[in-house]
Amino acid sequence: MLKRFVSKLFCCAAVVAATQSAAFAQETLAITGAKVITLAGDPLEKGVVLIRDGKIEAVGTDVKIPLEAKVIDATGQVVMPGFIDSHTSEGMGQANERNENVPFLSVVDGIDPVVDYFEECRRNGITTSAILPGNNTMIGGQGVVLKTAGQYVNDMIVKRDTGIKISLRPSSGSRMGHIARLRKELDKAKQAIEKKKSGENAEAKPQENAPAQPETPRPAEGENVEGAPQDGATPPAADPNQGVDALIAMLEGKLPAFIYCETAMDVTTALALVDEYSLKAKFVLGKDTYKAASLLAGRSEPVILDPTLIFWETDPRTQEDKKIVLTKVFSDAKVPFVFQLENSGAGLTSAGSYLWYQAAIAVKHGMPEADALKCMSQVPAKLLGIDEFVGTLEAGKDADIVILSGEPLRLSTWVNKTLVRGKVVYDRSTDTKLERLLAPSAE
Amino acid sequence: MSCVPMKHWLTMLIMSLSSLTAMGFTFGLARGDDLVLIRAKHVVVGDGKVLSPGAVLVDKGKITVVAESIETEGAKVVEADWIMPGLVNAAASYGVSGGNSELSVEVAPDFRTALSIDPDSRDFLEAFDQGVTTAHIIPGTDCVIGGCSCIVKTTGGGASGAEVLMLADQHGLAIALSSDPTLRNQSRGRPDTVFMRQPTNRMGVVWILRSTLHQTKTDGESPYLSVENRAIISASLDGKMPIYSTSRKDVDIRSLFTLQDEFGIQPIVIGGSETYRIIDAIRERKPTIVLTEQAVGARASSLRGQEGTEKRWNLAGQLAQDGIEFCLAGGNLLDQARFASRFGLSREQAIAAITLQPAKILKLDQQLGSISVNKDADILAFNGDPLEFTSGLQWVMVNGKVSTK
Repeated sequence: MLKRFVSKLFCCAAVVAATQSAAFAQETLAITGAKVITLAGDPLEKGVVLIRDGKIEAVGTDVKIPLEAKVIDATGQVVMPGFIDSHTSEGMGQANERNENVPFLSVVDGIDPVVDYFEECRRNGITTSAILPGNNTMIGGQGVVLKTAGQYVNDMIVKRDTGIKISLRPSSGSRMGHIARLRKELDKAKQAIEKKKSGENAEAKPQENAPAQPETPRPAEGENVEGAPQDGATPPAADPNQGVDALIAMLEGKLPAFIYCETAMDVTTALALVDEYSLKAKFVLGKDTYKAASLLAGRSEPVILDPTLIFWETDPRTQEDKKIVLTKVFSDAKVPFVFQLENSGAGLTSAGSYLWYQAAIAVKHGMPEADALKCMSQVPAKLLGIDEFVGTLEAGKDADIVILSGEPLRLSTWVNKTLVRGKVVYDRSTDTKLERLLAPSAE
Repeated sequence: MSCVPMKHWLTMLIMSLSSLTAMGFTFGLARGDDLVLIRAKHVVVGDGKVLSPGAVLVDKGKITVVAESIETEGAKVVEADWIMPGLVNAAASYGVSGGNSELSVEVAPDFRTALSIDPDSRDFLEAFDQGVTTAHIIPGTDCVIGGCSCIVKTTGGGASGAEVLMLADQHGLAIALSSDPTLRNQSRGRPDTVFMRQPTNRMGVVWILRSTLHQTKTDGESPYLSVENRAIISASLDGKMPIYSTSRKDVDIRSLFTLQDEFGIQPIVIGGSETYRIIDAIRERKPTIVLTEQAVGARASSLRGQEGTEKRWNLAGQLAQDGIEFCLAGGNLLDQARFASRFGLSREQAIAAITLQPAKILKLDQQLGSISVNKDADILAFNGDPLEFTSGLQWVMVNGKVSTK
């Protein structure tokens, strides 16, 4: 009796503590007066976005604003869901490993939240970023989807098991050898699955209640793949079998494969691998893959385009010069796509480090603006399997929001504020770096 | 000593001949002898004015009437949303085949880009595709005195790609007052090779410049100066040929000012990334500046250009505010103007900075750079406001001839 009472007491205390801490950490926030581009329907003129506890509670034109709500008056401005960078190898120092077969690595371990990249993301309205190992490692390890604001990597994690990065570009040696080595690793995992299966069948009856050693860690991982955003409170235990385990999870369809194809021929190889090993694949495309765009048609899942959207080529035989516009080639082939940013090395005098610039190029070459806007948020959210939480402005989703000074994709439009989980993480009016760049004067 | 006037005379002859050829070319091109009437919803004239709607009448490759509406018979009518003048790139390196710098000497004034331009180069096609109709092609910066620049028009015509029309085959003298020439000593310690180059530091660069100018002026001995070289440098010293100096860092621009005082020259600065650091001196001396490699995007945190120059986004806005004559040059001109405008330059100035301003700097503003009567009909058509990133170039007209894209 006493026991029960005590446990009840505990429960109450826990609930009180939880609500208290929530009330303490978060507040009710209303963004009013703005044009709201929800990406889930038609834009709302003078819409209201109501945020509670870091989540969107309501979006609409007739939302009642509670008394206790803090109000951000965004009259004349435009509110959009935070943008999503679908694929990058920034934010983590060195992106490639010398050893070419490292599926057990996790990008999480290399994330440095204070690097420029995250600051620039917030400045440019990017609230979520999929960070994956670089394009130079055969099996490069596991990626992670992060919010771009946070003090420690664990505060930032949206989805830990984003997928395994596989690159079809040989870092050394021949392409044949590279693909052969890749297949060998995949085959090993395949055999392990088969072995496990036959083992299960043979031992199924006698050992029904015995703790199954190899599977236990995996189902937990599997759950993460399906669902809830992790707050990083339970990092996966170190497991010597993690390498094969990660590949097993990939072959079982629990972990997607992000396959980097450098050339058009790599696309053929990738499609064959997807078929053969029934991979859940996301295609990260180099610019030369445009020649294989038709091969990718019919897949509902968008591809991730090379950051260089426009380039020229000379036909080696006819010497004819040709201008290639990736967005146009893939639109014409009816292959949906998302953008990725150029990395800092290439970015100095190129504008490819703005997601909106990439979208504007797509619009310039014929894409309807509404579709291009979706490519900045709604489509990548789906691609990354996080559309339950981000990608559109709808009740129940994370309050990751960009407040723009005007219509998106316009020359004079700036990001005024960026919110991540309902918190203002960037405010242009206090951005001293930007101020310095825009008002040069002798110092 | 008595050959000085002779040299001058030679230079004059060369220069007048080249300007004659330029004229000949220009007339030769006007084969689109049809009358063309362009009707546009917006005509961005280039001098700050915008006509909405507007019309432009083109006769034999020249603009003859610019008005809100024009009625005429017998003209081929072309419709457009927005039109603006063809872009002028005042610092290009298009199509110079086989390298644009001499690696074996430091002073090569008689090397001319005009002589090694490959009209089939993709550069011209790309430039044309971006709306560049006139380009000032300068030698590379590996030599202290790199050679003579030329000015061309790209037409996008021709069977195998772009056709290139020479406007001036010996326009200006290109020098490099920067650390670039010091980086080219490729002797790797061997003293007996042509790659044993003298300036291995910035002092050396300035010294070679100074001594060359001085020896030309005083007719003294110099290992660098042949008769031809002297003639060209003399023309520059006499102000008959503009000097373009690639200088990005504040210290280099200061050195340029010193040479300016010593020799009475008026060099045009190419680069100018760090002019904001010496803005007082810039305000006082008002040099002409061809801004290159302006940051158009990227990180606000670490903006470093060539030679480690530290960048500012609104440099163009600052120069405009201080009344400095400048233009934007280099790759992707239109985007540069768009970003300059985003960063603080006014719309009108942003358009002028890639059209009329560079034309003025190249002394071609009587002939091109704006949609005005008697100028060449070099016109771009867009499906929206040319300063918006989402607007696409529809067609390009050069000397009255339209190339559809």
